[in-house]
Amino acid sequence: MTTIRNKTAIAGIGQTEFSKDSRRSTLRMALEAILEALADAGLEPRDIDGIVRMSANDDVFEIDLVRALGLPNLRFFAEIPHGGGAACGTVACAAAAVAAGVADVVVTFRSLNERSERRFGESSLGGGLGGWMQYYLPHGLVTPAQWVAIFAQRYLHEYGYTTEEFGRVSVLCRKHAATNTHAMMYERPITMEDHQNSRWISEPLRMLDCTLDTDGACAAVVVSAEKAKTLKSAPVYIAAAAQGTGSRTEMMTSYQRKSLTRLEEAEATARELYRIAEMTPDDIRMVHVYDHFSPLVLTALEAYGFAPPGKAPGLLREGRLELDGSMPMNTHGGHLGEGYLHGFGHIVEAVRQLRGAASNQVPDVMNCLVTSGTGVPTSGLILSKDSY
Amino acid sequence: MELARPYPRPDRDTAPFWEAQRHHELRLQRCSGCGMFRFPVTPLCPECRSFDFEWAPCSGRGAIYSYTVVHHQTHPAFAVPYTIVLVELEEGPRLIGQLRGSSDGLVIGARVGVEWDEAPNQSLPVWAIETDLPAAPQVSE
Repeated sequence: MTTIRNKTAIAGIGQTEFSKDSRRSTLRMALEAILEALADAGLEPRDIDGIVRMSANDDVFEIDLVRALGLPNLRFFAEIPHGGGAACGTVACAAAAVAAGVADVVVTFRSLNERSERRFGESSLGGGLGGWMQYYLPHGLVTPAQWVAIFAQRYLHEYGYTTEEFGRVSVLCRKHAATNTHAMMYERPITMEDHQNSRWISEPLRMLDCTLDTDGACAAVVVSAEKAKTLKSAPVYIAAAAQGTGSRTEMMTSYQRKSLTRLEEAEATARELYRIAEMTPDDIRMVHVYDHFSPLVLTALEAYGFAPPGKAPGLLREGRLELDGSMPMNTHGGHLGEGYLHGFGHIVEAVRQLRGAASNQVPDVMNCLVTSGTGVPTSGLILSKDSY
Repeated sequence: MELARPYPRPDRDTAPFWEAQRHHELRLQRCSGCGMFRFPVTPLCPECRSFDFEWAPCSGRGAIYSYTVVHHQTHPAFAVPYTIVLVELEEGPRLIGQLRGSSDGLVIGARVGVEWDEAPNQSLPVWAIETDLPAAPQVSE
């Protein structure tokens, strides 16, 4: 059976500054990021014939972009649900459309004023609630940090760890952010002591286990591998792109699963990615792991096959995820250090590393695994410098 | 800004679940085909694909499977600190609810029993540690 392996590429990326207050609309930022991504690829707005957006908590719609960019028509448009689980999924959807010949130039993006407008760490829902929320919010389980804390407590319990293992994730991301000029936490590293002294949000999560809230936008342009070779910037090939739900899945509250320390949706996505890319975890040179909350970085590393269940803390203790380690992680600082564009910053960083143009550039990066939201239906990418 | 405490807005599938709780009864769907309890509410048994089920009463007893103590207040209706527990019921499904009383000495595996809280618009189950019972074996693995 044929797959989409290396049939498509990311030809352009764009990114606004990340800040606490963008002082402009999400639509304006989306347009800035998209125009930058088009210029990066050497394309014009009129070349766009497809747009894939993230549907959750985003107020920029493809028709807004059609009007603002003066596009005559879109022949492909879609949206991917479930918050940060969708980031790589937008690229997967774009790649599928391009590989199928449904569209030639597909733009994906994320634009948020999450710090200056609606903060995700604060609950904004009251009154009668239907759907999945009816089982949780009436009891006071109202924010993502609280939903994740239930999983994190179980991880500590089953493997006998302390919260220092979560702290190692935060310290690493802040270390990388400290030397990334684009990061909100540029020149602001933290120590394990800082982590352990930071206040409880929802035990066992401390403030320094939780993502930043960020204003900003990112965009990427997906085209066929053949077309990418003719464009301005070096192509970054999409070696694999996949989505996964796992079983008995809910939106961040999949508490009925047999194990709460395994990320079924990520395990399923990993199997697909390695099958399509014809790779194993040993082949991966760099990872950009979705880090809205530090504990689920550990379970994600395990789900993607880099350590057996319960053993991911060893990767951090041994320094394997540092810039000079065997598989550097979140070289931009991730959500915990650079900023929180719901996984889109991880895609942009992977492209930069593969082009040799990142702030914390690692030599000779041949491929990157990028993961999207944990605890939700998710997605992932394996991006490659070569179309092997 | 006023933000009302959230309460469930029942739908055609979940209405009996919440109606039973108004009478301080904890009822879950039990498949008439294979006998499996299931939660959250869904019309079809994911095990045997039967649409037939009953709203079976539960014992109201279980063990703490996980928990979180909330320290950072994010919703005006929920004053901190408070403890949310994930209770694994004797019937199998796991329910979220608040722990009644202090979280001091709370451990995963502790046995709990259901009590009822008259929340606005809806009675909700809350959970109390059954201190007179021996600790349950680990529910993991």
